[in-house]
Amino acid sequence: MKVDVQSLGTFNDLAHEGAQQATGSLAQMTGMEAEVEVTKISLVDRADVGEELGNDRYVGVSFDFEGALAGETVLAFDEPSKETITEALVPGDEADEAMARSSVEEIGNIMMSGFIDGWADYLGATIDHSPPTYIERTGPDVLPAPPAGTERDHIFVFRSQVEWVDETICFYIYMLPEYDSLTGLLGEHADAESDAIPIEKLETFNRMTRSGTQTAADNLGMMAGVDVEAEVTRISFAPIEDVPKQVGTETYVGTVVEFTGLPSGFLLVLFDEPSAINVAEALMPVDPDGEGLTDQHTAAIEELGNIMTSGFVDGWANVLQQSVEHTPPRLVHDMGRAIIDPLAAQLGQHQRHAFIIDSRMQTESLAFESEILALPNEAELRQALQELQVDRADQTEADVEQIF
Amino acid sequence: MKVYDGSQAEGATEPEPEQRKVGIAEYEVATDGAVLTTSGLGSCVGVALHDPHSGVGGLVHVMMPSADEVDGGDPAKFADTGTELIVEEVTAAGADPDQLVAKLAGGSDMLDFSESGGGIGERNAAVVRETLAALDVPITAEDIGGDHGRSLRLESRTGDLVVKSAKQGVERL
Repeated sequence: MKVDVQSLGTFNDLAHEGAQQATGSLAQMTGMEAEVEVTKISLVDRADVGEELGNDRYVGVSFDFEGALAGETVLAFDEPSKETITEALVPGDEADEAMARSSVEEIGNIMMSGFIDGWADYLGATIDHSPPTYIERTGPDVLPAPPAGTERDHIFVFRSQVEWVDETICFYIYMLPEYDSLTGLLGEHADAESDAIPIEKLETFNRMTRSGTQTAADNLGMMAGVDVEAEVTRISFAPIEDVPKQVGTETYVGTVVEFTGLPSGFLLVLFDEPSAINVAEALMPVDPDGEGLTDQHTAAIEELGNIMTSGFVDGWANVLQQSVEHTPPRLVHDMGRAIIDPLAAQLGQHQRHAFIIDSRMQTESLAFESEILALPNEAELRQALQELQVDRADQTEADVEQIF
Repeated sequence: MKVYDGSQAEGATEPEPEQRKVGIAEYEVATDGAVLTTSGLGSCVGVALHDPHSGVGGLVHVMMPSADEVDGGDPAKFADTGTELIVEEVTAAGADPDQLVAKLAGGSDMLDFSESGGGIGERNAAVVRETLAALDVPITAEDIGGDHGRSLRLESRTGDLVVKSAKQGVERL
């Protein structure tokens, strides 16, 4: 099965419009303005689905749908959103748990009908959906079990994050289509078969990226003297203007390189500020001279970024059988989105959508999180994947340890 | 795009002005004194317009220099079409084109990697300036360039543009 960039872009737009329509219904019923922040399609290991939901408590509704597209979809509100919605629909203090629940059900039903109808309209076909099921769970458990009926360890996830205007709370719309149903549709909507990437190669590439991330994590672990695990790796596809939203608005510290070869692009190793301080101090032989993030900290992060970048890029080069060169790392310390937007703009000169390769790592013994973000040139990544020999893919699949 | 006309304002006491977020490649127009915010500008440029007489304000967050250079996309994404669009929209919302003034911020040159056609921040700002000049909208203040990110807050009641950056603190234009 192949997937082409054109249809990925179209489907991403469709999911975004659906989420906007759903958000519009919400505004109409409650008078509360919300904005669809990000919509992206990700190819993700089924074990990692919904990882961004953390351990928060969510309520929501889920639907099964079948027809032109089949699968499950979920609308999940965090706890504060539930209260806000209930308050908007049932003003006053007397709203009890049952009312809160029926408010969520009512809103969820209207929003998600809009979402699914949008898809059906576009596809010019019928998609039937079940009545909503009310759910109340913690973290990723709020999502349906990834679609069964396939041996695959990767699934496609459409995810929209919607924020209330006051920024404090948000909700998510997830759609987990059945693999064959979606890939069939993607195939039908593909423009030119010659441009299409076999999905298997994307999956292989994702697995390789995970190994590359683990190498970077091991390098970090060795320097800091702790075990660091690669937590999540996924390939997402989003409009270029949504790329900077991959990270939050808070301040990050890290390194950025431009890599050249096939593909070219950018690689970022980013730590949020508290993580940067913790990690840097684990590497320093003596206590730092001052409070907060000092020059000693940033020097340590720069060195670390360099080593992690090399680990990651070398792994990639091995899989792609291409030499991947990179510039010396540049230290960055700024608002996350401001770091990424010049890179997205540079890519945006040649493409409307971008592949975002996103890996996270963390460890139990040291309070930190780190993110590796790769932004390859889209056409070049496509070409590189096309040139990725199937036998090579098989070989790397069987031989991950040796390659990295 | 949304136009807020204040018809939903409640109560006689002076309410806190409403706050509206402007995303990347998006814009907002306010006719009710709302505060328009946008965050995390690197090489992107925020173009804030204000008509002091009608009190209409608008903010667009543009990402790339010219719509001609790329195939397709939202007009608000580009410095040329985005600037034209926000002038058009504030005018449509009641601003007098002869009274309009502009303030700019952003266009940083952080992370310019020469091989990929860098200088985008600078080019974004240059195209915004050219477009505003062609439309006869004077620029009364700007905070452009440098190697740091910025977040913006346009107080549409007064036309003040508050620029915040991690390194330079807060500046009111």
